Amino acid sequence: MRALRIAAVADIHLGEDIRGHYRKKLEGIEHRAEVLLVGGDLTRHGTIEEGQVVADELGDLPIPVVAVLGNHDYHSDADREIAAMLRDAGIIVLDDDAVVIPLDGTRLGVAGGKGFGGGFAGKCASEFGEPETKAFVRHTKEIAERWRHALKNLDADHRVVLSHYSPVKDTLAGEPPEIYPFLGSYLLAEAADAEGADLIVHGHAHLGTEKGMTPGGIRVRNVALPVIGHSYVVYCLDGEGVH
Amino acid sequence: METPQYVAARIQRALAEDERTNELGIRVDVRGDQVFLRGQVSCEERRHGIEDVAREAAPGLTVHNEVQLLEVSDPGEEEHL
Repeated sequence: MRALRIAAVADIHLGEDIRGHYRKKLEGIEHRAEVLLVGGDLTRHGTIEEGQVVADELGDLPIPVVAVLGNHDYHSDADREIAAMLRDAGIIVLDDDAVVIPLDGTRLGVAGGKGFGGGFAGKCASEFGEPETKAFVRHTKEIAERWRHALKNLDADHRVVLSHYSPVKDTLAGEPPEIYPFLGSYLLAEAADAEGADLIVHGHAHLGTEKGMTPGGIRVRNVALPVIGHSYVVYCLDGEGVH
Repeated sequence: METPQYVAARIQRALAEDERTNELGIRVDVRGDQVFLRGQVSCEERRHGIEDVAREAAPGLTVHNEVQLLEVSDPGEEEHL
């Protein structure tokens, strides 16, 4: 098994006002990486029009593109339409499921979706009390359960989890601690730790920090555009994989 | 005079909820009759939009737009994991 170079970015927040700018930054990406992962918040308002800009900017790249949606992409209740437009443009959109991409003899498995909040172990919301609170927590629990299932059935040489919300606190450092429960949930990390992965990539926390780790030792990277300050970052997974 | 904490909260909420901005990452500080906006956005148009929404949410106050344009450089060195 050989090493894989994975490009990643999140929170590109595209719209008509910056059409064409991000695409230029992707020129030559095929010389730097074999796949591009995009961790949600592709748009600002989640409109169909913005979805079209994303499809135009990320479509027809020389390498496969895997994306998830973020909270902004849900804002106009057009998330399904946006996902369909992206798929029509050849982009793989994960929605709490997984894909295996053959890359020159090596199989890269990517599992994930938007994720959600709730907070981190010891300081998190519980499925208790008002129906609104229960629904909030249940949404994250169900997502984590679907990720666990997707990872369990993912047969690949390298396994990466792609999310919008954060699975750990480490990569939120820089954000006000009061809003951590809206930035991610430990349930996402727990699912990945239970089934194993080489890397978890997320966005959402613009003021956060790039590097962190799950309690089980999986490397976590916050690739929100304002955090990385580059058009994307490249992670090289070595030939060992995780088992 | 209105309590500064509530003014700041109202401006921040307006920036998040107003369709012209939908910006969740802007820090708002109010000191007396001065409003300070900080954060990063991708283009000048979005920077101005933030200022417009903040002004409408805080009439009579002086708004200082310290929001910066996000500079995105070419990809750096790859990280080996």
